[in-house]
Order: sequence, then C-alpha cells, then structure tokens
Amino acid sequence: MTDALHRLLRTPQGVLGLLLLAVLVLACLLGGTLAPYPPEAMDFAGRFAPPGIKHWFGADQLGRDVLSRLLVGASSTIPLAVAATFSGALVGACVGTLSAYLGRRWDEAITRTIDAVMAIPHLLLALILVSTLGKGSTNAALAIAISVAPSMARVTRSVALSVRQQDYVKAAIARGEGAGWIVLREMLPNVAAPLIIEATIRVAFAVMLFATLSFLGLGAQPPASEWGLMVSEARRFMHQAPWIIVAPAVAIATTAICFNLLGDGLRDALNPRDER
Amino acid sequence: MSPVLQVRDYSLDYVTRGSSQRVLQNVTLSIEPGEVLGLVGESGSGKTSLAWAIMRHLPGNAREAPGGVLRLGDTDLRAASSKALETIRGRRMSMVFQDPSTALNPTLSIGRQVSEVLVRHRGLSEKNAWRAAIEALEHVDLRDPAGLMKRYPHEASGGEKQRVVIATAFACRPELIVFDEPTTALDVITGARILELFGRLRAETSVAALYISHDLALVARVADRVAILEKGRIVEEAPADRIFTAPAHEYTRHLVAAVPRPEHRLVTDQVEPKDLLRAEGIAVRYQHKPLFRPALPPATDDVTLDIRRGEILGIVGESGSGKSSIARALTGLADYDGGITLEGKSIGSAKAMNRAYRRAVQIVFQHPDSSLNPRQTVADILARPLRLYGGDVATIPALLEEVRLPASYAGRYPHQLSGGEKQRVAIARAFAARPDLVICDEITAPLDVSVQASVVELLLRLREANGTAYLFITHDLNLVRQVAHRIVVMKAGKIVDVLDMEMLKRGEIHSYTRELIAASPTPVG
Amino acid sequence: MTFAWLLRRFFTVLYTLLVVSILVFGLTQILPADAAVTLLGENATPQALAAVRERLGLDDPAWLQYWHWLSGLLQGDFGTSMRTSQPVGPAMFTALGRSLMLGGASLVVMLVIAVPLGMWAALRRGKAADLVSGLVSYLGVSLPEFVTATLLLIVVADQFQLLPATGYVAPSEDLVDSIRHLVLPVLTVSLIMVAHVSRMVRSETIDVLNSDYIRAARLKGLPPSTVLLRHVLRNALLPTITIVALDVGYLLGGIIVVEEIFAIPGIGRALIVAITSRDLPSIQAGAVIMAATYAVANTLADIAYVLIDRRIRYD
Repeated sequence: MTDALHRLLRTPQGVLGLLLLAVLVLACLLGGTLAPYPPEAMDFAGRFAPPGIKHWFGADQLGRDVLSRLLVGASSTIPLAVAATFSGALVGACVGTLSAYLGRRWDEAITRTIDAVMAIPHLLLALILVSTLGKGSTNAALAIAISVAPSMARVTRSVALSVRQQDYVKAAIARGEGAGWIVLREMLPNVAAPLIIEATIRVAFAVMLFATLSFLGLGAQPPASEWGLMVSEARRFMHQAPWIIVAPAVAIATTAICFNLLGDGLRDALNPRDER
Repeated sequence: MSPVLQVRDYSLDYVTRGSSQRVLQNVTLSIEPGEVLGLVGESGSGKTSLAWAIMRHLPGNAREAPGGVLRLGDTDLRAASSKALETIRGRRMSMVFQDPSTALNPTLSIGRQVSEVLVRHRGLSEKNAWRAAIEALEHVDLRDPAGLMKRYPHEASGGEKQRVVIATAFACRPELIVFDEPTTALDVITGARILELFGRLRAETSVAALYISHDLALVARVADRVAILEKGRIVEEAPADRIFTAPAHEYTRHLVAAVPRPEHRLVTDQVEPKDLLRAEGIAVRYQHKPLFRPALPPATDDVTLDIRRGEILGIVGESGSGKSSIARALTGLADYDGGITLEGKSIGSAKAMNRAYRRAVQIVFQHPDSSLNPRQTVADILARPLRLYGGDVATIPALLEEVRLPASYAGRYPHQLSGGEKQRVAIARAFAARPDLVICDEITAPLDVSVQASVVELLLRLREANGTAYLFITHDLNLVRQVAHRIVVMKAGKIVDVLDMEMLKRGEIHSYTRELIAASPTPVG
Repeated sequence: MTFAWLLRRFFTVLYTLLVVSILVFGLTQILPADAAVTLLGENATPQALAAVRERLGLDDPAWLQYWHWLSGLLQGDFGTSMRTSQPVGPAMFTALGRSLMLGGASLVVMLVIAVPLGMWAALRRGKAADLVSGLVSYLGVSLPEFVTATLLLIVVADQFQLLPATGYVAPSEDLVDSIRHLVLPVLTVSLIMVAHVSRMVRSETIDVLNSDYIRAARLKGLPPSTVLLRHVLRNALLPTITIVALDVGYLLGGIIVVEEIFAIPGIGRALIVAITSRDLPSIQAGAVIMAATYAVANTLADIAYVLIDRRIRYD
C-alpha cells in the first residue's frame, strides 16, 4: 500500500494528482470553516462584484461570495460522485468477474445484455432514472452508480478473462484448487489493480455527469452550492459577470483533471513489473 | 580486397532513467566478401544491438561511444547522413528478421512489399518491378509465386513468409546481409529448409553475411567463422570447425558444454517396466465449437501412451502436433475423451481427478513469466502446494536449496527474478507436492542454452533424489535424445513413433522421425 | 462477409433494442405519478380519470402494457404524446433528423481534426508539440459539454459577437445562416471528442510506429514519406474506426446537453422536454430511437472494419 504510494509519487502525474486531491479533500472537509463568508450570505449592495480584495473570486447575482460557495460546494459535488463511482464499480466488477468465470453461454448472454444497456447514452440513462426517482443529489448519485456499472462490468470482464488465461491460474486449476480460491486468491489481486485505475478515471466522468445533471436542474437543488448548479444559475448573467460561471467551471475541470492524473499515475504505480 | 564490413573498437551504451548501461564494449570484427561470420551470444549479450548499430537503426536512448568505426566497404556508416542511409539500406546492405509474421505489413500485399524495394533501388517501373519480384520469389523455391504476390501475409505460412523476407533481402544484390535469428521462430523442419535455401543462395551470389543466433550448433554449420559475444564483448573468434573441437575461451567452453549432444547421454540408468500412468485413446478437442461451422479437428486424436515409474518419457513434435494438449489433458486442464489410469486406478474424466491424482501428477509450464502469480511472493507460491498436500511450510528454505536458489528468495516477487530463476521456482512448486510424475511442457524453450543446461541438470538431480518420472515435452530433439528413456514422436495430433534408444541406434524409426533428426543441427566435430 | 455473419449482427441489434425497450419501459413504470393525472390535471373528476386510465390501458399489468407498446412499435406506431396529444413518431423522427445533422457534422469535423492531430503527436512523440497536444487533450476530456458550451457562448457569441448564440435555422430555409447557427454547437460536441479520439489515435499510431514491419520497411531504405503514407497510415486508421464507433455513444450523450443549451430542436431536446414533463410515450420512443442509432452506427463500423481488414474471419 505504502509501496504503491511511493511509486505513485515518482510519476509527475501522481504528484500533481495527489496535490490536487489534497486540495480537494481539504475543501470537502474544511470548506465551511475555510470559507471567508457564509455561502448563503447575500449582499444586495455587492451584487456582481468583480474579483477583488473583498471577494477573491467575485460575488454572484445575489451578492454571495463565489469563493465561499465553491469551497462549500466541494462537499456537495465530489463525495457523492466518488461514492457513486465506487459502488457502481463494485457492482460492475462482481458482474464482470462472474461473467468471465462462468464462461461460454452465460458469459455470452451477460455480455450481450451489458452491451445492450450501454446502447443508451449514460446521460440519458441517468436522466430517465432521476426523472423516475425524483430530483435531488442522492437520486442523481444513484443514477450515476447505475450508469457506471455496465462499463465497469465490461472492463472487469476483459481483465478477468486475460488473467484467467495466465499459466498461474492454470497451475492452480491443475492443483485442484476450488473456484473460490482461484477467484479470490489468484485472480482478484491481479484484477484489482486495473480496476482501481479504471474506477479512478471514472470518478472524473462521474463528477462531470453529476454536474451536468445539476446543470439541467435534476441533480442538486438550490440553494445548494453544487458546482454544476452554480454554472446553471449563472448562465443568465454571463454577459455581466463571467466570473460567476468561470469559477465553478474551472473547479469542475480541476476535479476531473485531478482524477484523470491519479488514474494515469496509478497505472504506473500499481504495475509490479516496473520494479526492475 | 577490402572487407565488406568493418567494425573496430565499437562501444555502445543505453541510457535509462539517468543511468547508462554499456551494451557493447570495444567490438572488433570484419567480414570479407563472400564470407559468412556467425555471431553467437545469449540473451543480453548485445548481439541484436550490434545488428541495429550496423543498420544504423538504434533506439532513441542509445549512445555510441566516440572513436568506434563502422564501415561498409568504403563508406563510413557512422558519418552517413540519413538520406545517404536510405540509399544504402535495402541496396547495399539488408536484413532478414527473426519473426516473419511481424516483419511483413499485414495490410499490404506480399507482392507490394517485395516490389517496392526494386522500384526504390533498381529504378524499375511498377510493372517491371512486379515481374522481377515474381522471379525473385521463384528463385527462393516458392510455389505459385505469381499467386502469392497477390496474397496477404496472413494467408501464407511461416516458412513461405520467411522466404519472402529473404527474397526481399537478396533482391537488390546487396554486399552484406544481416540475419537476425531467422529460424528461431520457425518449426525445426521448416527452419532446416530455410537454412538449405540460405546455403544455396550464398553459393550463387557470394554475398557476405553476418549470421546472428543464440544457437551455437546451428551457426557452426552455417558460418565460415564464428565470433562469441559475452555481455557485449567478443571473447573469441575462430573458424567454425574449430569452435567446437577446440574452444579457447572459458565462456566458449561453457557454451559448448551446454549444447545438447545426442550422443552424450546424461541419463544412463535403466527403468523397470512398471506402469505408472497409462493414457488410452485420448482425444482433446478445442475449447469452443464455432457456431455455424463444422467442428475443428481434435487437437489430439486417439493418443495412447504409458509412462513407467521413474522413467523420462520424451514427447517431440512441431507446433500443432498436439503435444501440449496431452499435457493439458493429463492435468485436467482440458476436457478429453478416453481413459487415464494411474497405478491401476482408472480416472474417468478431468472432473474425476481427485487430490491424490493431482498430487501425483504435477506440471511445469513453458513461460516463466506467466506461470508465477506476480502478486505473490515466492514463499506464498511454494506454501500453497505444501499446505494442500500435507507438507510443512517450514521446509520452504530446503525446497529452495534443492533448486539451487538462496533461501532469501522466499520474500521476493517474481518480477525480481530472472527467467531461469522463475523456472526453478516453478519446478520447486511442482516438487513441493512430492509427485510421482512431473510434466515439463517445453520448459527450456524460452531459456538461454546455458540456463537450459543447468535446468536440465537440476531436473535430473531431483529425479535421482526422488525417483520422479518426467513427461518431457519439447521440440528440441537433441536434448530429448540426451535425457529420455523412450521418445514419442507426434505429428498433427497423432502418435507417429514410439522408440527407445536402442531402436534409435539401430535406425528402426519412422520416416518423419528421420526427417526431424536430419533437421536438428548437431555440433560439428 | 457471410450471410450468417450479417444475420448474427442483425439479431444482436434486435436484442439490444429489446433490452433497451424493456429497461426504459420498466424504469418509467416505477413512476409514482399517475399518468392520468398528468394528462388531465389535478382537478379532473374521478370518472374522467378512470376513463382515461381505461383508454390508455393504465390499469393493465405492466407486461401487458409493455406488449401493447411493443406491438405498436413494431407496426410503426410510437404512441401518442401525453403532452401534445400528437403522435410521437413523426415528431421524434424529424427531431432525429436535425440531431443527425448536428451529429454528422460533429463527427466529420472531429475526424478531420483528431486523426491528423493524433498521428502528428505520435510522430513528434516526447517533443514539445506532443506534450502540448497532450495537455490540451487532457483539458478537453475534463470539461463537461455544458462548460465548454457556456464558455464558447461567452467568448464567441457574447464578447466578440461573431456568431449567433442559440437557435436553429433549417438548411432548407437559409443555408448560410443555418451553418452559422450550427458552428458553436458542432464545435462544442467535437471538441471533447477530438480530445478523446486524438489520444487514442496517437497511441495506436505509436504502436504501429514501433512495430517490426515498420522497422523492416525503414531498413529497406524506403524514404520516410513512403513509410508513413504507404505503411503506417493504413494500419493506424483501422483501429480508428472502432474508436469512433465507441464514441458515438458519447456523441449522443453530448448532443442532449448541447441541444438544450443552444436551443436546437433535436432529439436530445425532445427527450429533455419529455422527461421534465413526464411524457412517457415520448421518453420511451426517444430512448429506443437513440439506442437504435447507436446500434446501427456500431454495426456500420463493424462492416467497415471487416471490409477493410482482411485478417478478420467473419465467423
């Protein structure tokens, strides 16, 4: 574990990713305390204030401090997206491994069904789910988890299949090992690494999807300071005060970049063969 | 007359992550017109790097030391501009590669790939180049050259593709051809034919050649002079007929000793005809029956063989002969029709193989890289069979010592071991169960010849200590003639010959076996 | 290409559509809201509500409703919109046509930029140009469509007043104006896909450049231009087809957002309207049509791939 961390720190992507992650985690945990102003504090006199000493990132249409809203919004945007990705990944991984292990007809049937589900664009699936379950952050997170699962199942299956072909799995079979042992002790440790990498990169995608849902009014609801919502609310005022839009947009992009970098760094760090 | 190729004091480094590694050290050699110089080295010796250096196609992190000389005839290769090199390559010097299936562009017709050299260097028109290419292919004994020209590489066999590559290399009558292990990726018999072709073309064209290989026996037959490369240095250079009879340098002697000589038996005991395992009518099918097409022929067809207690039974055959499928059937990795009997007890099918059977029959795989779980330490890997079969985990250090590995290796991960070391761990894993039969599925194929010799020596020692029988699967006929009590020859899924050493000496062998023996180069002298 | 192969692909598409339809139908049936209430409003009389339920078959078990809908679908009847009381089919297909125009243009623009960009980055691997393009790609993949769209709107439409902000003009009315209205949406959709696809093209091209046969070609003394055009190009383009086919799904998702922001009356917009107004038949029809588009696009890509790559056996 710490070994992987050390290797991660040796790659430039890993360093940058971890740095950004630290900033984001800080914002999530301490956003409220670090924020210079309460996020709901309105100041009609200071509406549309451009970035300056009083408001580092400016103030929005209701005079709320943009920086404060960003900091508090981190905990509305990121943790749910992460949780959604990992739960979706878990479900997907189980289905994918099962499919790879069962093989032959079951594998074929499951794969075709997954492919069919993936014929619906992620956003559309999430939209339908949210419209069915109702608006709100938790439902949006659930919708994202459900749309992440099929693609994770596909990736898991292909990794599991290639691991299954390896001679050390054959050696285990020749030893007469039971299915449980083979899957858990021989296959899983070798399947876990690519999955973690894939899941990390999907978090970036989940954050973007979550923000998109909020943007369309189906995710987080006002007055939450979720970043996608902030962009949506600021659309009307983009002529007068572009900073209201730019700040949350940059925040979203930074988060996505952070997880993409981490995923890339992990790709090198978790590969045992590079030790030489 | 000036030499065709002159290499003087040439040194080369590779730079990785800040540190530089010397790959070639003060290499000096020369090739006269019409001469074939063999360059022999094991993996990591730098022989391929020398080939790239001569062709001036080194990887980006290569650093040539100043002062080294590379000359082709009168041309200083190091000083040549890239434009000049474009006219030299293919015309004055060309190369034949190791793997013909990757050396040809899969999306271009074979004809295009041959004719483009002629268009480029001989200035022929497309049409004339096409015709000249057909002639060139005819000249390398390809059937239906005109038809082959229109086909794509995947529609030709390995032997045909290599002939195409050779034809392309010879097409512009170069002064020098560099051969990089041209027969390693081919079957034994196909490779022997390619060597015959090479001999004939060489006699006709008097081209100078640098023949690179790890196979000393083969090179000694093909070349006029042989140079031995050890870790980037040329340690010996001698006429081919002398290199085996009177090797001067210690490393050369070490290599010569490691080459399998069929006359030099390593196993001299007799084995009682007590059956250990008997397989009858084994037919192994391929995994999937394709949906809308007739089933493929079985991988093995009605194979019957028996292994005696403590015996070494060799199975030889080319790729596709079914020898690995037998191994898979006997270890329950593949479904089969037919019956297996272990010490009189009949085993119905792969599913019926119980713990006792699995303990008694163990397998070591060909590729050391994939046969050890990369996320388990050596100790983990060895502990499992010990625990399964009632051994004691505390014996791991002793187990490691048996395979001549230091006890400290127990904490290491596979990627920290060399290929030979990984294979030893795999052997230790098989022996941890104290089996009666160990199936060795081409375990020495990917190894250097000296490493191969030490692994074989290890296997024989373990056999002496434990009385284990081996099912030794290989394509190396010379090796199996050294160690096996009996040999089974397979071709296209069927057993073609079963013979012991006596029958071999008397020549009571199948014609296919005879062909295989003729195709396996034995050391000169 | 054997008939059996084509038949199998056809059945795969059918299966896909079946699963999609079941999924969408099932999801929308969880809707707690009563469709009858949605139609007639809160103040409708119980009798009127009952009549509507009867007419729409809302009291039937779910599978029966599904069967009715499916059989209608197979006959070309996509149902009647709850919102407009008009047949869903024609409206959806007209909207689809507009989306296809947007999507098609985006695809073309994307290919024209991404493929040469990816190859160029591969050829200049490790150098400044490659790193810069890598950085820009990274950025492209990290920006959701709505962010890109909004930023483009701010910069191009607002600040510099170069192009109209939103709206749609049919090409049959005024071709030039139609194009002017399409520029920003197409740019938005293609930008992300360019980032995506160019990275993949780059890595495919690098693989080809490192291959044995390219090395063999160079060692035959062929000039670099010949190596590139005759040997590299074909091998790098082949996997591109698969990559693009996979991205069609991405494209369809992006279209939804982009149509919403730029007020283009395509199928994405229609779906959003349907979803927000809980217009079940429209949601169901729209989803199936989108999935069908994706499935057809993938099949076309498969066919193209098989035609071009001679190595694939069609079984």
